[in-house]
Amino acid sequence: MLEIRELSTSYGPVKALDGVSFSAPRGKITAVLGANGAGKTTLLRTVSGLIRPVKGSALLDGHDLSRTPAERMPSLGLAHVPEGRGVITELTVEENLRLGGLGRADRSRPSDNERVYSLFPVLSDRRNATAHVLSGGERQMLVIGRALMATPKMLLLDEPSLGLAPRIVAQIFDLLKTLVESDGLTVLLVEQNARSALSIADYGVVLNLGKLIVHEEAAVLAADDKLRHAYLGF
Amino acid sequence: MQQFLTTALTGLTLGMVYAAFALALVLIWRSTRIVNFAQAPMAMITTYVALALIDAGFSYWIGFAAALLSGLVLGAVIERVVIRPVEGKAHINAVILTLGLFIVIHALAAVIFGSRYRSFPAPFGLQGFQAGDVTIALTGFGIFTIVSVLVVMLLLVALFRYTDLGLMMRASAFNQEVARLLGVKVSRMLTLGWALAALVGSLSGLLIAGGSLVHPSYMDSVVVYGFVAAVLGGLDSPAGAVVGGFLLGVSLSFVSGYVGSELVALASLVILMLVLLLRPGGLFSHAAERRV
Repeated sequence: MLEIRELSTSYGPVKALDGVSFSAPRGKITAVLGANGAGKTTLLRTVSGLIRPVKGSALLDGHDLSRTPAERMPSLGLAHVPEGRGVITELTVEENLRLGGLGRADRSRPSDNERVYSLFPVLSDRRNATAHVLSGGERQMLVIGRALMATPKMLLLDEPSLGLAPRIVAQIFDLLKTLVESDGLTVLLVEQNARSALSIADYGVVLNLGKLIVHEEAAVLAADDKLRHAYLGF
Repeated sequence: MQQFLTTALTGLTLGMVYAAFALALVLIWRSTRIVNFAQAPMAMITTYVALALIDAGFSYWIGFAAALLSGLVLGAVIERVVIRPVEGKAHINAVILTLGLFIVIHALAAVIFGSRYRSFPAPFGLQGFQAGDVTIALTGFGIFTIVSVLVVMLLLVALFRYTDLGLMMRASAFNQEVARLLGVKVSRMLTLGWALAALVGSLSGLLIAGGSLVHPSYMDSVVVYGFVAAVLGGLDSPAGAVVGGFLLGVSLSFVSGYVGSELVALASLVILMLVLLLRPGGLFSHAAERRV
């Protein structure tokens, strides 16, 4: 579904991504792993159009994303939940969700926030609260819910577990797994927390210094001690 | 008692004009984090457009509409042509550009419209109302001033709070990158923000000009008062701009009436200092975080 071909992105003279190629299959979770500075976030930002690659392409169902501006991504069915979550703290929970629905890919149906509220009851209780009062876990739920409002077929998630208690991380990852199964979502999941990511992922991609080192089924990756010790920290 | 009422009413009317100008400044600040130093000459030149039409025989209201419309267009054009190229770079660049625009628009107005003082009409009359043998210091034009600013403020509040467009504009102001990822055409929102701000600025230009004299520098003194009003209310708050304008107008009117009109400029700066010392965010500031 998402095909990355020889993707290379630079920040000035620094090569953040160097000829990365892999495919993220439809309806599956592909984890993108690696140390800090490996290029994981740069990968997502290049795919979602925030940065232009210097070489290579990213194809979503054949559509070349590298020439597409970021604003058009939701209409193509791509939702990116950025590093740091991206909650707009000055708006209320309801407004954040409504905003997500404005860009939705499927315009034939009205924007549906009740579904998000039923997935995340804690958000329902805080509909009219300013997003700034939400805890870290609640914020993560809000931005995932906001991304879902756009009826995406592909979800890019950048370090959703960052700063969250293990119990909350487990909750959110379980929910992600359920969503993939129920909605047929395709997910590209960037994580530092490789262990948790591999526990729900179908495939894993390991980056190091901008290059792709490994692309393997998650179970195989998790079982390979040498690889895990070398790149994943456990 | 009479003097008190007169002073208060004059202050109210004047305050609304400052409020309109402050509102224009706040709108641009909120959406692009720039203080638009060119706001005064922008308003001035659109008032001249109105004057040109009125002199050509059209009614005041045609001139009025033309000024607002040209404000809308001018704001959009300036954002696209002058501000957009330096977006994302140091804010000082945009500030210097607005200062440059200040000079350029001034010069353009003098060249096109001349530097003589010209009178500008005021609808609804400039006589105070009579109640018995007492003249109340509220003119028809004064009421129009107050009402029009309040209407504009309410329309803007309604736009921002209840419409999808308003939501997109607010999102673009608070977090451009996230707004883009959600499909908002942020650059269009910024242009619209400038256009609306310029429209409000044009309104303030018309309200100041009414019944008074117009020349290329006539709006310049308003800049200080409008700026103080905006800071007093909180640069991030449109409602604050209006309240700030009102408070400033009334305070300055009382200074002028009871202390001395020479001290008005000083008084406004004292108020600015007090705000910055005691409550720098302004009266309507939230507990200051923008990004958490």
